[in-house]
Amino acid sequence: MQGPDIQWYVVLSAILFTTGALGVMLRRSPLIILLSVEIMLNSANLLLIAFSRLHGREDGQVFAISVMAVAASEVVVGLGLIVALGRRNVDLDVDKLRTLRG
Amino acid sequence: MNAAAWTCLLLPLAAAAAITLGGTGISRRVAGYLATTAALAAFGAAVVAFVIMLGEDPEARAHTTTSWTWLSAGQYHFGFTLLTDQLSVMMMLIVAGVGSLIVAYSVGYMDGENEERRYFAYISLFIFSMLLLVQSGNLLLLLAGWGMVGLSSYLLIGFHQERPSAIAAAKKAFVMNAFGDATMALSLFLLVQHTGQLDYAGVFANSPQGGTVANLIALGLLGGALAKSAQLPLHTWLPDAMEGPTPVSALIHAATMVTAGVYLIVRCHTLFENAYVIQDLAAGLGAATLLMAGLIALVQVDVKRVIAYSTMSQIGFMFVGAGLGAYPNAMFHLMTHAFFKALLFMAAGLAIHAIAGEQDIRQLAGIGKLMPFTKIIFLVGSLALVGIPPFSGFFSKDSILASALAQGWYGILIFVAGLIGTFLTGIYAFRLYFIVFTGEPSAFAREHFHRHQGKEAPFSMLWPVGALTLLAAFGGLLQFAPEWHPLSTWLDPVAPPLVEPTSAQEWLGSALAILAGVSGMAVSWAIYSAKRARAPKPVRLFEKKFYWDELYDLIWYRPADLVARGLYAIVEKPLILGSLSAVSEGAGLGSRELGRAQNGLVRSYALALASGLAVLTIVFLSAR
Repeated sequence: MQGPDIQWYVVLSAILFTTGALGVMLRRSPLIILLSVEIMLNSANLLLIAFSRLHGREDGQVFAISVMAVAASEVVVGLGLIVALGRRNVDLDVDKLRTLRG
Repeated sequence: MNAAAWTCLLLPLAAAAAITLGGTGISRRVAGYLATTAALAAFGAAVVAFVIMLGEDPEARAHTTTSWTWLSAGQYHFGFTLLTDQLSVMMMLIVAGVGSLIVAYSVGYMDGENEERRYFAYISLFIFSMLLLVQSGNLLLLLAGWGMVGLSSYLLIGFHQERPSAIAAAKKAFVMNAFGDATMALSLFLLVQHTGQLDYAGVFANSPQGGTVANLIALGLLGGALAKSAQLPLHTWLPDAMEGPTPVSALIHAATMVTAGVYLIVRCHTLFENAYVIQDLAAGLGAATLLMAGLIALVQVDVKRVIAYSTMSQIGFMFVGAGLGAYPNAMFHLMTHAFFKALLFMAAGLAIHAIAGEQDIRQLAGIGKLMPFTKIIFLVGSLALVGIPPFSGFFSKDSILASALAQGWYGILIFVAGLIGTFLTGIYAFRLYFIVFTGEPSAFAREHFHRHQGKEAPFSMLWPVGALTLLAAFGGLLQFAPEWHPLSTWLDPVAPPLVEPTSAQEWLGSALAILAGVSGMAVSWAIYSAKRARAPKPVRLFEKKFYWDELYDLIWYRPADLVARGLYAIVEKPLILGSLSAVSEGAGLGSRELGRAQNGLVRSYALALASGLAVLTIVFLSAR
């Protein structure tokens, strides 16, 4: 079974992760931030599956499924918060949501 | 014998414990009677021991009994050992005998005082401690008793704890005595080092003879004796100790505790004989003290302070006796002094008690007319103090002076000092008598004098005073040196005297001493009674007590105060206090500044996380 070398997967995963991280840091909308977090999680998944294939073992794939489960739950909570914010007519802008501080 | 010794020692302790534990469950009266009974029973036990000892061979009268090993450290073992021999039986009789009389007197004197129970617990504790001191069978136990009498003296001087002056006096006495305890402990260390034990017999047999070590040992013991007996230069605490109740002054600061130094020298005479320089020093300091105290006593106006200085002076005589090697004479004077000095204090106490606690002789003046009985017993005490025959002081003081005559030029020098001291004694003792007890009562005395149910004092105060009057008057007949001397014979196996004055010296010493005493009395009569003149302008040096307090202030207190203040300004304030506040300020500042980083901006947190991760990654990669 042939495919691209492992380096390609690693590079692609790094690009995805960086995209996600930049998205978290630079964007203001909580929805976009949530999306960026998903991208970061999935970049990790990609790496897990790639190495699992490389070594011919299934542990990595099992991990990837667990990560997906965790990501799904996280999205549920995050979206729930965002919906709650929307219902209260709060601006969906993380820079304005800063009452929790020292 | 041993049972009697243990009974004598432990009964007062039991009384102290019972009064303490009983608390308010027992009435004040009962506490007094309990203490009196215990002291009397202890005296009874001492008498039993004495009688048993009389029936024994003179060379086999020393008994030791060990209850248990008290302390053991490595190869050294110190037992809780009692030694009952001629010397300790004599001291037991004096301590328990005079002690029980004075405790009985206290029942009346302290009546109506707040916290009588505390008083009786303390005084029982004192009698126990003093008995422990004289009955101990080794030097370590002696030191324990030595410290405990210091403690009970401290507690009793400060009995009126609402008076700041009493507290200060108590602290002064304790510190001075602690100094003596320390020098004594050092000397015991040396003894352990050189003899490996502290039992009397072993120590005396093995201690080094002559040389620096022997001198240091004797000097340490002498330091303890000087502090406890209020001799130069550690004497300043005794006059202040008169802040305590009068029976305490009679028991502790006249009859028993302050004479412990004399007992120590006589008990450890071997150690002092091994260091004759120190023994001579003891005699010299005694002579100096008796002169100085006599001079100061001339101008004091507090009746108890006059008697206190007289006590110092008389103990000076005992130190002269012990220092010159006339041990039986020193012990004899210790005994008669216990009688007549306790009597003087108790007579003064009767007057003070009857006149609302006033102690100034100018206010007490002329009270003899109102209190004829007190006047007579005070006269007996004063005559015994000056040493007029046949009163007790004559026999004991004069034999000390005679021993001085037999000791070469140094002895002659001390003899002259003793004669001058006797002359001074005549003046100050009768100054007190003439001012306080003769003449017309002062306005203050008339106004404040009150009788107790038609008598001068309650019966509980009068009978002990009566008993002591008899002892002070006739106790001296026990020994009249050239003619009969049972006491010297009794003590000979324990402390053989170094000096045997001839009959001629005895007679000469007595004649000159009586002459000096009588001329002192005559001078006093001429000044204070015949003319009722104002006292000659008191010499300022005497009034200021030779500036000893000021000197100690200058040497010890001021430098210490200066150093403490300096350290406070230089070290404590900037470094210790400063560092504490700097730490707290730093913590406050740091947390405020750090708090600003938590600004609520989620994206900045994320940035911090990411950059932290980046830094870690770089570090791990480069460290590989």
